[in-house]
Amino acid sequence: MGCISPQNTIDANWFFETTVGPNVDHFNALEPSYKEYIAPNLLRRMGRAIKMGVATANLAINQAEIKNVDAIITGTGLGCFEDSERFLLALLDNNEQFLTPTSFIQSTHNTVGSQIALIMKCHDYNFTYVHRGFSFESTVQDALMLFAEGKKTIMVGGIEEHTPNFVILNRRAKKFKNYDASVPFWKSTTPGIQMSEGGAFFVLHHAKTEKSIASIDGIQTLYKPKTSEDILKKLYMFLQSHNLQLSDIDVTMMGFSSDVNFDKLLVELLPSIEKESIVASYKQVSGEYHTASAFATWTAAKIIEKQHLPDVLAVSDKRPSEIKHVLIINQYLGINFSFTLLSRC
Amino acid sequence: MISAIGNNVHEAFQSLSNSQTGIGKINHLTTRYKDEFLAGEIKLSNKDLADLVKDNNPDLNRNSYIAMLAAKEAVIHSGIDTKDGMRTGVISSTTVAGMGKTELYYKELFEKDDHLGVLDTHDCGDSTERIADYIGNVDYVTTISTACSSAANAVMLGCRMIKHGLLDRAVVGGVDALSKFTFNGFNTLMILDREWCKPFDENRKGLNLGEAAGFLVIEGENALNKRGGKALAEVIGYANANDAYHQTASSPEGYGATLAIQQALQMSGLTPSQIDYINMHGTGTPNNDQSEGMATKAVFGNQVPKFSSTKAFTGHTLAAAASIEAIISVLSLQNNMIFPNLNFTTPIAELNLIPETKLLLTPVNTILSNSFGFGGNCSSLIFKKA
Repeated sequence: MGCISPQNTIDANWFFETTVGPNVDHFNALEPSYKEYIAPNLLRRMGRAIKMGVATANLAINQAEIKNVDAIITGTGLGCFEDSERFLLALLDNNEQFLTPTSFIQSTHNTVGSQIALIMKCHDYNFTYVHRGFSFESTVQDALMLFAEGKKTIMVGGIEEHTPNFVILNRRAKKFKNYDASVPFWKSTTPGIQMSEGGAFFVLHHAKTEKSIASIDGIQTLYKPKTSEDILKKLYMFLQSHNLQLSDIDVTMMGFSSDVNFDKLLVELLPSIEKESIVASYKQVSGEYHTASAFATWTAAKIIEKQHLPDVLAVSDKRPSEIKHVLIINQYLGINFSFTLLSRC
Repeated sequence: MISAIGNNVHEAFQSLSNSQTGIGKINHLTTRYKDEFLAGEIKLSNKDLADLVKDNNPDLNRNSYIAMLAAKEAVIHSGIDTKDGMRTGVISSTTVAGMGKTELYYKELFEKDDHLGVLDTHDCGDSTERIADYIGNVDYVTTISTACSSAANAVMLGCRMIKHGLLDRAVVGGVDALSKFTFNGFNTLMILDREWCKPFDENRKGLNLGEAAGFLVIEGENALNKRGGKALAEVIGYANANDAYHQTASSPEGYGATLAIQQALQMSGLTPSQIDYINMHGTGTPNNDQSEGMATKAVFGNQVPKFSSTKAFTGHTLAAAASIEAIISVLSLQNNMIFPNLNFTTPIAELNLIPETKLLLTPVNTILSNSFGFGGNCSSLIFKKA
């Protein structure tokens, strides 16, 4: 797996020993020097989302020590926003004249997935999901179906980029708030998030190999659940389908975003979860974006690999002694909810 | 479905049967090229669409309006009741999403607050969630964007999720309203024809852009039987492959397209000779028709089935193309009709493939429908008479 985020996730040895806070009201991804991961002739034309996607895909492939995959499945809420904005501004500024196609070509949402296919010469299944807080979840769900259909090795990933203008506009729309380290995310009383960006790619294999870090056992999305009881009921059913109970979950990572409205259902859910499991929170280090769940999945796999829950993520006071199962309960805008179950393998 | 050839399936059928194209002068899109190019516009203004949807929510955009109307038509026509306890999904697709509205207000967003709402409706997921809420009682939503093959992948995903027992039925399709953004994008690529597009013609110059929303209800056999419904057609094959040749161009030999067609055929259990008709992607660009023609020859050899591209009726409707062509395919199966490839006169010398150029009444039991897109995304679907 490979991950670019506001934190030093690109460094294989880093594991939350040091973390950085947001740039007041939003996070920027900590991007590496891409020359190590992408050929210079390709790099020149790529927007940041494409770079983050291709670089993390490259990291994942290298770590898994594979050359080919049977499917490339990409998730992104806003796609290549930088190129979209560049083409849009060019056409508005020049009254639809003197335009060049490069940024238009790069603006399509499937650019990241197709660039990876081009580089890997992969003629197989290629899909791009673009549904808000379900963008990455849809890639994993699709991969699990493809395994049942007989595919062996699949790459899934989630990518999001923002631009300076997009930050300015969302700030004008009062979607952000200044980060306040003194108020834990799950105790926030005010609206507003810290918007962020990043990319994470994973190589999934149908069976355990020597390289396996963790297994993804299941995923489920919930669209507009009405109450926290609804979510809890669905969660019990989800866990039951994997022969598990909430008390079997060693760490539950919850997607609090620090917006009191969006987080309402998760905050209500927190006592029920904490009674049976040890709770963690991740958006205080990743920030909020459509594919923040890809960051959460990377983190969950690392927690399993290291058998350690870093303090900076912990909500509960207790720490797990052994970590077999990690559950992610993500939410996006209080509308898109998801469960992802990872296990030690 | 709603497109340049009508505001519903019945009107589309009338246009198709009368060889009446919907492509013409640009009336609704604001662009300096209004009088230079033709387009397949939906013949309704945003105000007309708002009235039809019966919703004046200022956050709705043209993409959402047409998606909601087409999806609702599909649901009503199918007779499903989303409140009956079965699991219903909405799997939609789009490429332009809310850009048509964003481009009108983007500059002023930096100074005025009036239209900051477009920030919430700009993304691809917006129209899908609008559809879900308009239909009501939807358990699952997702959105796909694989350029011009998008809706084929929505059909495919719907079938797979039902097969895997994750859904009982799915409202699947795609939507793309015209925008200055896409119009200028295709113009910079120099693949727009200033006259009517001529798919598979030696002298073809490019495509005409169109706008549309097309949705179908796909049900598992159990769900269909349980409610005593009747299928219009069956999906018996689908495949997704990648050309991995170039970001926007198709390989000259149509490698990705060949893979998609072959794999869809394999799944259907049909031999190439058992395909009665191919609804081609046939955009009218020099590159696509050459590449698709080569792929067709690679799979079917010298026995190419009857075929046509219906893009000269509707224009190229991008993410919606595969779903409106799936609906057109169902109309072909139901009525034993092959709709013509308009504006064709001279076969491509190298291929010598001749499409159907007049409405043909003939038994149609099986149809292959192709959709290819930027990024090398190639998808093929096979439908069978129910």
